[in-house]
Amino acid sequence: MHPALTLGIAIVAVALLLATRASARRALDATLEWCDVQLARFERRPIIIAGMLLAVPVTLVTVFSFFPLLYAVYISLFDTRRGTYIALGNYHRALADPEFWRSVKVTLYYAIGAVPLTIVLSFVVAWLLFRITRFRSLFRTVYFLPYVTSAVAAATVWRVLLRPQSGFVNVMLVSVGLEPQKWLIEPRSVFHLITGGAIPADVGPSLALCCIIAFDIWHSSGFMIVVFLAGLSAIPRQLEETARLDGASTFGVVRYVTIPLLSPTIFFLVIVSAIKSFQAFNSFYALVNARGEDTQNLIVYIYAQFYENQHIGYGASIAVIMCVAIVLLTIAQWRIAGRQVYYE
Amino acid sequence: MPRIRACGVFLAAIMALRCSPVDAPAANGAQPAQFRPIDSTAAVCWDRNTLETAKLLDAIAGEYNETKPEELPIKLEYLGNYGDIFRKVSLSIQARELPATAVGYEPMTSEYVVANAALSLDDYIDDPTLGLTPEDKQDFYPSVLETNRFPQFGGKMYSFPFCKSVLMMYVNKKVLSEAGIANPPTTWNEFLEQCRTIKAKSGKTAYAVSVDCSTVEGFIYSMGGNVAEGAVTAFDQPAALGVFKLYETLVKEGLAYQVQPGTYDDREDFAHDRAAFFFRPSSHRPDAAQLMAARPGDWMMTRIPQSDVSKPSTVLYGPNICIFRTTDAHQRAAWGFIKHFTSPKVSVRWALATGYLPIRKSAASDPDMLAFWEKWPQDREAFDCLAFAKSQPNLVGWQEVRTLVERALSAVLSGLKTAEQATADLKRDADKVLAAQQI
Repeated sequence: MHPALTLGIAIVAVALLLATRASARRALDATLEWCDVQLARFERRPIIIAGMLLAVPVTLVTVFSFFPLLYAVYISLFDTRRGTYIALGNYHRALADPEFWRSVKVTLYYAIGAVPLTIVLSFVVAWLLFRITRFRSLFRTVYFLPYVTSAVAAATVWRVLLRPQSGFVNVMLVSVGLEPQKWLIEPRSVFHLITGGAIPADVGPSLALCCIIAFDIWHSSGFMIVVFLAGLSAIPRQLEETARLDGASTFGVVRYVTIPLLSPTIFFLVIVSAIKSFQAFNSFYALVNARGEDTQNLIVYIYAQFYENQHIGYGASIAVIMCVAIVLLTIAQWRIAGRQVYYE
Repeated sequence: MPRIRACGVFLAAIMALRCSPVDAPAANGAQPAQFRPIDSTAAVCWDRNTLETAKLLDAIAGEYNETKPEELPIKLEYLGNYGDIFRKVSLSIQARELPATAVGYEPMTSEYVVANAALSLDDYIDDPTLGLTPEDKQDFYPSVLETNRFPQFGGKMYSFPFCKSVLMMYVNKKVLSEAGIANPPTTWNEFLEQCRTIKAKSGKTAYAVSVDCSTVEGFIYSMGGNVAEGAVTAFDQPAALGVFKLYETLVKEGLAYQVQPGTYDDREDFAHDRAAFFFRPSSHRPDAAQLMAARPGDWMMTRIPQSDVSKPSTVLYGPNICIFRTTDAHQRAAWGFIKHFTSPKVSVRWALATGYLPIRKSAASDPDMLAFWEKWPQDREAFDCLAFAKSQPNLVGWQEVRTLVERALSAVLSGLKTAEQATADLKRDADKVLAAQQI
């Protein structure tokens, strides 16, 4: 190509580019100006901005939380096997169903056993860990390990340890001259076993349920220990030192200084673990295959209604009852225990 | 007040939803309800086989696909165990999207029929082109076919036999010989006596109990009883009470112990000479053989003890296969595969490789089968049981009854209930369940 022609084309191209850039800049300026105007208009109406920002999370929560909840309420009004509307029939059936009440009893036994024990044990371990300076990280990791272990995998190991015939625990019991136990397949209550039959076998939690409670304490205490450690770190040291100077014993310091200052943490853990205890499923299913009625809590009962007995509407009605119960329990906890919480 | 109004509106909205029949969940009724196939290009079969048996089933499906290029190909998908498949089919019914076919037990199929999802196979079976010839029909053992007819649904056939086995007794001959016993028991009285002798002479607990409803059913059949008559259970009859009393005696005298549910600890204890007997289906024979591979002469599999050896009975195990109401093409392909899979040659081939029983009478004269039985005579005994084996009831709600039976047995084994209490409670609760399911 002739150099003059090349130069001409280059000049034209640069001119076009400049012109384009100029027009692009003008367009950009106009757009920004428009945005400024719109934003200024929005700023006068902040609710629109708030709405735009909330649109995505609200949509997600609606689709994945509220819709399933409302749909559960909706199908609970049907006999899903026959496809007929039965209004509150499933709710009436649940309230008259002895198996439902047995599941409620198992759920309460579990909650009463697991929640206080886990919190007390976690607090004691956290308090001891907080006192030591050497190997604190190592111990913290050791105690946290069960929490990060898969519940199903850990339950498999527990099943092997608790085998009725040749399990490690029974071998140990026999070696010290004690009677082997049936552990996970023992439907009789621990009170019955301890008293040698003086208390009826169906009064109190079964030995199998106690094994599940023990497993869950072991599995979930790591999380609580870490939370308690964080809470203990936030307590000003001078308060405890002042109490000691005033002659308080170690127990007195814990009772009158540490625990009150930890009350927000304890309150949080009580609320969270109480809700979790009502929703426990993995350990029940993995440890005992969710078979016996002595280890059938509400969630396992709902699962059985949904997936084994095909009573979808009935299962949904129990789920709704349980949801309402959890909400009421949480409100009650806020009202009753919330008053005892000391916020610095 | 505004909150109360909002709640009122919300409740009104829920009530209003009921006016929309299209939204009614799990529409069940007489009207035809087609389901979308989960794969429009293939007839998907949900199955539970793994490893070698899955490979063989895949090969059989591949061969079938080659012979029927004009039909949709069969695509096998592993979905877990039978319970998992049942749960996933149930959820798929709610989503109105199903595979072409799936394996499962009779009580599961009856649930699919209630949901209007299972296809009656009678039209296919009797079809002059696609169906079975009269000779074919005669070749199947009546028990394996009859279990797929559902009296609650007009006696129609909603599933077809797929893999069959029967309840058998596994005997550790070494433990028996340690107690000076030469032959395994043939009657329940002998069984009890042998358990006592083993306990007395070797201190071993003879029977490792795996709590399973089918085993209880097999015991009841072998004692000359039945588990259901019409739409009510027969757990109050002497045979059922006899079974629970037997378990009660065994436990009270320390002759039996329960293993953890969902495990094969009974098999393991058997292999370690800790137990003399366990009861499982004949399909467990290859697993037992593997565990006892180092000393094959120390064990055997035989017919379960009977009350009257002249009128033997046991329970028929094993899944069936049902076809779902999807498209004609999917249904036809699924039926073609079932017919191919249960043909005499394939049936024998499957039995030889898996430990399941061939479901056709003609297998008794198949040279390959005869050679196999020469090597494994115990399998021949299991096959002979097909002539008198009875299946579990295929009533709607039996799936729930199974759980009640297992709980009743656990209660007796743990001493929580006597045999009389357990059977009385079981009868009452099971009848209540069945009554609530009446269609």
